Amino acid sequence: MLERHGSYPEVSTEKEKNENPYVPERARIVRKFDLTKDVRFFQVRICDPDKVMTWTTNYKPGQFMMISLPNAGEAPFSITSSPTRPGLFEFCIRKVGKLTSKLFELRENDFIWLRGPFGNGFPVEMMHGKDLLFVAGGLGAAPLRSVLLYALDYRDRFGKIFYLYGAKTPDDMLFREEFFRMKEREDFECYLTVDADPTGLWPFDIGVVTTLFKYVDIDASNTVAVVCGPPVMYKYVVDEFLKLGIPDDHIFMTLERKMKCGMGKCGQCVVGHKYTCVDGPVFTLWDVKNIRSLI
Amino acid sequence: MGKPKVGIYGLTGCAGDQLNIINCEDELLKIFDIFEIESFVMASRAKNENVELDVAFVEGSVSTEKDLEHLMEIRKKSKILVAIGHCAVFGGVQSMFMGKEPWIERYKKVYGKENAVTLTPPLEPKPLAAYVKVDAVLPGCPIEKEPFLKLAGKLAHGIVPKVPDFPVCAECKWKENECLLLKGQLCLGPLTNSGCGAICPSMNIPCIGCWGPIAKENWESEALLLLEKGYKPDEIVKRFAIFGGTERAELLKNFLESHQKQESGK
Amino acid sequence: MRVFKLKRDNFIPFMKGLGKFGELWGPVKKGDHHVYAQASPEQFDLKAIRTIVPAKKFFLPKKSTILKFKNNEWTEHFDVKKRVIFGLHPCDIHALNIYHKFYTRLYPDPYYLKNREATLIVGLSCLPDEHCFCNLTDTETVNEGFDLFLTDLEDRFLVWIGSPKGDEVLKLVKDLIEETTQEDIDEYVAWRKKRRSMFQVSLDLEGMPEILTFNYDSPIWEEMGDACLSCGTCTMVCPTCTCFDIEDEYDIRTDEMDRQRFWYSCVFREYSMVAGGHNFREARSERLKLWYTHKLVGFMSEYGSPACVGCGRCVVSCPVDINVLTVAKALLKEKPDAFWARMASLKNMEVEHA
Repeated sequence: MLERHGSYPEVSTEKEKNENPYVPERARIVRKFDLTKDVRFFQVRICDPDKVMTWTTNYKPGQFMMISLPNAGEAPFSITSSPTRPGLFEFCIRKVGKLTSKLFELRENDFIWLRGPFGNGFPVEMMHGKDLLFVAGGLGAAPLRSVLLYALDYRDRFGKIFYLYGAKTPDDMLFREEFFRMKEREDFECYLTVDADPTGLWPFDIGVVTTLFKYVDIDASNTVAVVCGPPVMYKYVVDEFLKLGIPDDHIFMTLERKMKCGMGKCGQCVVGHKYTCVDGPVFTLWDVKNIRSLI
Repeated sequence: MGKPKVGIYGLTGCAGDQLNIINCEDELLKIFDIFEIESFVMASRAKNENVELDVAFVEGSVSTEKDLEHLMEIRKKSKILVAIGHCAVFGGVQSMFMGKEPWIERYKKVYGKENAVTLTPPLEPKPLAAYVKVDAVLPGCPIEKEPFLKLAGKLAHGIVPKVPDFPVCAECKWKENECLLLKGQLCLGPLTNSGCGAICPSMNIPCIGCWGPIAKENWESEALLLLEKGYKPDEIVKRFAIFGGTERAELLKNFLESHQKQESGK
Repeated sequence: MRVFKLKRDNFIPFMKGLGKFGELWGPVKKGDHHVYAQASPEQFDLKAIRTIVPAKKFFLPKKSTILKFKNNEWTEHFDVKKRVIFGLHPCDIHALNIYHKFYTRLYPDPYYLKNREATLIVGLSCLPDEHCFCNLTDTETVNEGFDLFLTDLEDRFLVWIGSPKGDEVLKLVKDLIEETTQEDIDEYVAWRKKRRSMFQVSLDLEGMPEILTFNYDSPIWEEMGDACLSCGTCTMVCPTCTCFDIEDEYDIRTDEMDRQRFWYSCVFREYSMVAGGHNFREARSERLKLWYTHKLVGFMSEYGSPACVGCGRCVVSCPVDINVLTVAKALLKEKPDAFWARMASLKNMEVEHA
């Protein structure tokens, strides 16, 4: 798998035939640390050695996995690592409910169970040769980091890359140190902002994420824009995209819904005639305009 | 991780919920095996009140000052507090306060005077959640063995359990029963928490709502349907109120009044 | 399609013969209604119109264990029985065909597939009652999706063979069936004519997808939402409703951990609620709208036909008369009296909402 020089990982959303897609695969937590006061970073490795490389190269940025613990239940989490860096899966998990509370009790070397990957993911092939404009808010940096790392690892395939990330306070910013270092890179533009800075030590912009658009310099007719964050943010960011002149079908966003199967069956993520788990979680602005109640 | 430490307590109620835990019989040894029972006055001599509890099961409503004191103590030492039975979850029949007068007036009606001699100063009966944070509930009057064991299965792994969010009708359809409401009976299935397995409707007995009102229930619509089927407003209100808990009682009074107004306006 | 004749007197031995394939299930009386139950063919009620719960229960059981957990591994768990299911009407078979498409697309569902493979479907013709409207949903006849299909012509049945499996099974009862004659064909044609004349519901359902789309913001949804009890009955009895929920259950008695799948409903409050408490469809009207738009519009774009087969189960099951017909009539501005009278009176009450 690793020898595929010059080619990007092939994407398959379906597991091998004959395999029961409801059966979770065991994985081990190899590393974990807190990103913010309620968001924890988990690095996990599939236990079955035959599956480690196939699983961690055969997914698309923007896809998600169903993570479960016996008796605590199962829920979808977007993959925050990139298939360009195989071997491990990475997730950012916020403590909000029954399952995540249990996940937070786990230690390194403990087991968790995974199914997937599910969902459509970002259309990375169609992004080739284009300028990329990524906008993240809060926890939205989790799925966006996957496609960002992907684009940076295959830097030559893309035009200009802009990454704008806004968080409430410096303490709420995911991967803060990682992004600080990225700012030093010269082959892409990384801008960070916080709504408020109680520490008084924040060295960059202060204000909502849309204030960072003043730095953006892209060829709007040849740009793919991606926004991930809390739904309230979407409208404002999308307005900025449209002001720049980016067409509807080049504007992508990921949506959150309740999911129990990940395979377009249980129905709980349905919106209009779309199942968020198979037709999404990545949608274009065109989809959003056509499917009522999507956002 | 050691065995979860558990206490089982009763406030004001019939003790039927604790009794039904004892009634688990065959499973009782298993329960004592999985959990470290620190206090269960009804079934065990063990009484260690000074240990931190992983789980406290509390039945009964808060109806006296002593109840309240006891509840506060339990809450303080417990990680997960589970209200068991209708009294603890919704207040029980003693909390339906159907009379129009304030509580103390009704109290006088029953006991004859304001300062009647009781073991401990009384309070207006209320569910546990009126005073403390309740982490999980197991409704039912009384609680049933199967739902209790299911709940215990979650707590055994330190998981805070949740009752289903849907009404009895769903389970009733799983049982492929004829709809009693459609047959003109005063069935509270659509308004009542499921988990009981629709036992009563499965035996052609309409649901009396003993698992308590489901969150955001549409009782107005059902009340109207029952009026249409020929039930009298006070008949409906009485049935709704038995297991309706403290919150619904006030709404029902408004319903009756508004209905009377409408009738007299005709 | 090949067709044979079965004399009525031979029906019981015929069914018993098919019973060699597996357990015999068919429509049996329960109170004033019917249910599919395991029974001997003498108990089957051939006049049954619609069962309380449709035949989907055989393919997506109301509650079933799909996985078991042991020694840190999840393993699949099947509970598959060979069954002959008798008495499915054309609408029921159409519904199963929708189920089939749904459960075999994208990620084929192994539980559905195994159950389906183990089942012999023996359809039965029917005469509509006042609630049937399969004539409006284009599902009054059926050409595929069954193994055998019996057309009831009083003193005899026509036996249609719909699959190689049906053909194979028919060998078990080959002595009981005979070739059809011209008279049988004539009778069949007359029977069809009679059946067609019996439908009583008339409504324009064809335009529903567009009409629903136009009416996305219609106040009708709010009004329906005020009446809806969110009891989930409509979804449980609907033969094309597919939604389920999954939950782990640990049995302290046996120390076994099961992952269970059970019927769930889009009208339940927590259906669209994510961890943390945000609910994408907090209002009853929103959930109701989802059901109707998904059923009548959503399926159109995905499968080319709406997911209503006109069986009338929602019509006879909803305690407050919200069903495909009343919703369609309301959207077509043909407000049905009883329902809207109650709604008007609900408004007059001006009761405080819980």
